Amino acid sequence: MDETARERSPPFKKSNGGDRSHQSPRIDRYNIVFVLMDSQGNVKERQLKEEKNRMALEVISRNSHPHAHRTFRRRAPAPYLFLMPFGLLFILFFIAPIVYAIYQSLFRSQRSGLGLGAPIVSFNGLANFADVLHDSNFSSGVGRVLLYGIVQVPVMLGLALILALFLDSAAARFKPFFRLAFFAPYAVPGIIAALLWGYLYDPALSPFVKGVQALGLPRPDFLGAGSVLWSIANIATWTYTGYNMLIIFAALQAIPTELYESARIDGGSGWYIAWHIKIPLVVPALVLTCIFSIIGTLQLFGEPQVLLPISNNISSSYTPVLYAYNTAFNYNNYNYAAALSVVLALVICVLSFGFLRVTQRQAGV
Amino acid sequence: MSQHIVSEPLPDIQEVVTTGQRQFRRFNLNTIGVMTFLFVFTVYFLVPFFWLIVSSTKSQADLFGTFGLWFAPDFNLFTNLQQLFTFNDGIYARWLLNTLLYAGVGAVLGTFFASMAGYALAKYTFRGRNLAFSIILGAILVPATTLALPLYLLMSSVGLTNTYWSVLLPSLVSPFGVYLARIYAAAAVPDELLEAARIDGASEFGTFRIALHLMTPALVTILLFQFVAIWNNYFLPLVMLNDPNLFPITVGLQSWNVTTSNPSSGQTTYNLIVTGALLSSIPLLIGCIILQRFWRSGLGAGSVKG
Amino acid sequence: MQFFSSFSWMRRLALRFAIVGTLFVLMTSLAACSSGTNTSNVSNGPVNLTFWSWINGADKAVALWNQTHPNIHVKYSNVGSGPVEYDKLFTGIKANNEPDIAQVEFQVMPTFETTGALVDLSPYGAGAFKNQFVPWTWNQDTLGSAIYGIPGDTGPLALYYRADLFAKYHIPVPTTWAQYADDAAKLHAANPNTFMTDFPPKQPGWFTGLEWQTGARLFRIDGQSWKVSINSPQAQQVASYWQDLISRKLIKTEPDFANAWFHDLQSGAVATWITAPWGAGIIELNAPKTSGDWKVAPIPQWQAGQNVDGNWGGSSNVVFKSTQHPKEAAEFAEWLNTNQASMEYQIKGNALYPAYEPLLNSSLLSSPLPFFGNQNIFDLFKQASTQVDDSFQWGPTMEQVYSDTGDNFANAVNGQGTLGDGLNAVQQSTIAYMKKQGFSVSQ
Repeated sequence: MDETARERSPPFKKSNGGDRSHQSPRIDRYNIVFVLMDSQGNVKERQLKEEKNRMALEVISRNSHPHAHRTFRRRAPAPYLFLMPFGLLFILFFIAPIVYAIYQSLFRSQRSGLGLGAPIVSFNGLANFADVLHDSNFSSGVGRVLLYGIVQVPVMLGLALILALFLDSAAARFKPFFRLAFFAPYAVPGIIAALLWGYLYDPALSPFVKGVQALGLPRPDFLGAGSVLWSIANIATWTYTGYNMLIIFAALQAIPTELYESARIDGGSGWYIAWHIKIPLVVPALVLTCIFSIIGTLQLFGEPQVLLPISNNISSSYTPVLYAYNTAFNYNNYNYAAALSVVLALVICVLSFGFLRVTQRQAGV
Repeated sequence: MSQHIVSEPLPDIQEVVTTGQRQFRRFNLNTIGVMTFLFVFTVYFLVPFFWLIVSSTKSQADLFGTFGLWFAPDFNLFTNLQQLFTFNDGIYARWLLNTLLYAGVGAVLGTFFASMAGYALAKYTFRGRNLAFSIILGAILVPATTLALPLYLLMSSVGLTNTYWSVLLPSLVSPFGVYLARIYAAAAVPDELLEAARIDGASEFGTFRIALHLMTPALVTILLFQFVAIWNNYFLPLVMLNDPNLFPITVGLQSWNVTTSNPSSGQTTYNLIVTGALLSSIPLLIGCIILQRFWRSGLGAGSVKG
Repeated sequence: MQFFSSFSWMRRLALRFAIVGTLFVLMTSLAACSSGTNTSNVSNGPVNLTFWSWINGADKAVALWNQTHPNIHVKYSNVGSGPVEYDKLFTGIKANNEPDIAQVEFQVMPTFETTGALVDLSPYGAGAFKNQFVPWTWNQDTLGSAIYGIPGDTGPLALYYRADLFAKYHIPVPTTWAQYADDAAKLHAANPNTFMTDFPPKQPGWFTGLEWQTGARLFRIDGQSWKVSINSPQAQQVASYWQDLISRKLIKTEPDFANAWFHDLQSGAVATWITAPWGAGIIELNAPKTSGDWKVAPIPQWQAGQNVDGNWGGSSNVVFKSTQHPKEAAEFAEWLNTNQASMEYQIKGNALYPAYEPLLNSSLLSSPLPFFGNQNIFDLFKQASTQVDDSFQWGPTMEQVYSDTGDNFANAVNGQGTLGDGLNAVQQSTIAYMKKQGFSVSQ
């Protein structure tokens, strides 16, 4: 226990491993790390590996020494045993379905003549994938969610950033109240938020529609051809801004205040501090939230499905996931739906990795 | 929990990080401007809740007949609640309990397994460690919707569909939890401590328990994250479950919503759906308020210290 | 010393995992008891069957069956209506755990036949009922000599109209479609906030019923291949008629069975609805304040003096191959749709219109309804039922046809193209889709 106390008291104790002489005391805005605080507010720091090709969020162990060999053999099975429960579940419920989906996408249900009997399932090679690439329903769905993402994600994260910055500023009062108010929408399960907003868009139920009409203005159509996509974007923004704001806010809170002091001494104003110090230092949090937002946006499903019965303007292939769902469950065409899912997963992975790469390149060079 | 002073290279500036208050003004922005902006968006975020609360107090007729953002003369909340819990033999309460089961068990066990895995990845070097971590990291990027359909087919081949297990078991897998656990374990659990414990004769599981103690904030974060994710989960239970007795709240309420708008059903349950939606948000809100302090102090991003 | 200690931690770890593993197995076996899957006994003891249906009142019918048939216990489940239930049926069929019996609408009978999962009921005495059902429904449920379903209810179309509004604005009850269009213009001119009816672009079943009336045949079986004519001249006739009404803004184009539409039925913004007998229940439930204001007239005809009708909806009960008790399942399906008490529960609960001809004379269907101005609407439907052409054939991919039709019609009401263009597009996409699946298609 003594050792524990000794370990924890000075957080930046130079340990007996690692030469710290190369650390620079200046702020280097590109040397961004993930800093974690424990419940007592002690900041434990890890320094980013200087390799350019690592992701900005990768963290390495404080000690760069390899472990002593004398204990290696004794501990050999331990990591595998620790990994086993998660690993087993991971293989069963993550890897296996992916493999099965890929497997399913290589087959097709073959019919002949009138086809009024069970089909023959036959190997189809990559033909399903060729069909997906030529499928205008799929490509228009992907195009639509990309357009949606290009608008909604920056708007939502921009809003989250501004709210976080404002909350972090001394000018804001009643911070806990605002934090809770902004986070509250996240407590509503996503599909129920869509349901709720569906009622708020519904001409027969919506106080907004009725209110505007009562003022004599033309009736707003939230579910019209040009507007329904943005109405869906509004639902997502409403639901997730607070959550993203909290992540950014936590990052802002971790910034040491002496940075501001030195900027202030240099004569910088609030905006200067925000623009030149705060925002660059929360870039990792922004990257994190951006990746999750991209992944979520491309998988858009619940909101269109909930709004479908009340709007003429949501087609059966409105988003790629909706299209895959309908293909599997309505058209009973599993093999093609599997191919759609696999291609979509690839698109998402490529976009996410690409985004990480781009931000890495900007941050790491 | 005592407040700890973070030592800085400039020791004359002291700061209490945990309360989030700065002791000097850092922004020179117009306070009114900031507060107005915050207030406007508070309205934006809270008005739908207000509508939900107001609508829960109305009867079906008043829902359509009266202005949405103010109460109707007839206060119907208790009737709505009573109807909500007796409709369809009280299936709503069952849905609440189901959701609690899925989210509670899933989050607790999932956090436990993820922390074990994260700890192993962070604190041991072994063959395949980096490969395993890369695969798990890549798994975060895989859309959940891709998995649900083939998972259904796999589950049905062992007869597990339409059971509690079909939703519980996949929920135990949390790649993001492993990621968080790993980086936190790497950061917060000093190897020297573990070595010392081993020298003192502790087993590997014993050292793990020490590490767990140090990883508590991350554990709470993963737990919260997983709990909310499972509570909100719609697609997986939608695909896996047919029996309404097994539905979580999300699938249940949406099934009511769909039934209300189809040709041959006899149900008109808008007031129940609205009341049910309100109730379904309350547990998470309460949970988040209570666990706010852990959430705040668990995870952050920042700069290099000098 | 080191050797022993290394084993001790391994032992402890192994013990922990063993405990967890045992708990796991225990819980799994407990959970198996709580699952909702098919648990039929093969040997002695009562037979257990599962039955999926969305008809209000079917649960009471099932309860009656269980009372009167103690050896065959049926568990009733409402897993959703129409496509929601079919989705679950398809996945169930894939997993071989679909219910024993289920309700399916006529338009998806060929689709279910293509799964190969339907049980031929002719070995189980279904043939005895052949001449007791409305003829076109029997045709829909049979394929060659195989009987794949027992017809339950039908949906012949008629014109529900707001008699009070017609009286107020001096609108004559139309007997031809030309008159209907004239009435629409007259009504809208008299009151710009009132529309003759609503055209829901994503309700192709309704539109197909109207096509049915003209003699349009979307699908035909020609030997061993399908003939697809979704854009036949008759279909185009219906499309251009409604396109005209849409372009002249005489009708609404909002989704039906939604709040706004129910609201319009109640407020009088929509004055007529062309629909089946079960529509009566919908109106009563969702526009209660209009009680006494509605009446039902025969559907308008394309030519004066004709007497042909189309059909929207109606369903049968089918038995699936995964059942372990086809005989009992067939027996239940037959009972459900022919037993008077059973059908009366369903008529009462859902305004169901029976396909079983003896029941068309039921007392429940012979009384004047106050909601409809004391008119006995079912007399009219009895007549209409006989006017439905019995050679209508559904295709094997109706979900896809309906989806594409809905998408294209939605574009048309938004001003992108016409309904007729939509039919052409669906013709092309359907032929392409069917060919891709391997069906033999001719045009």
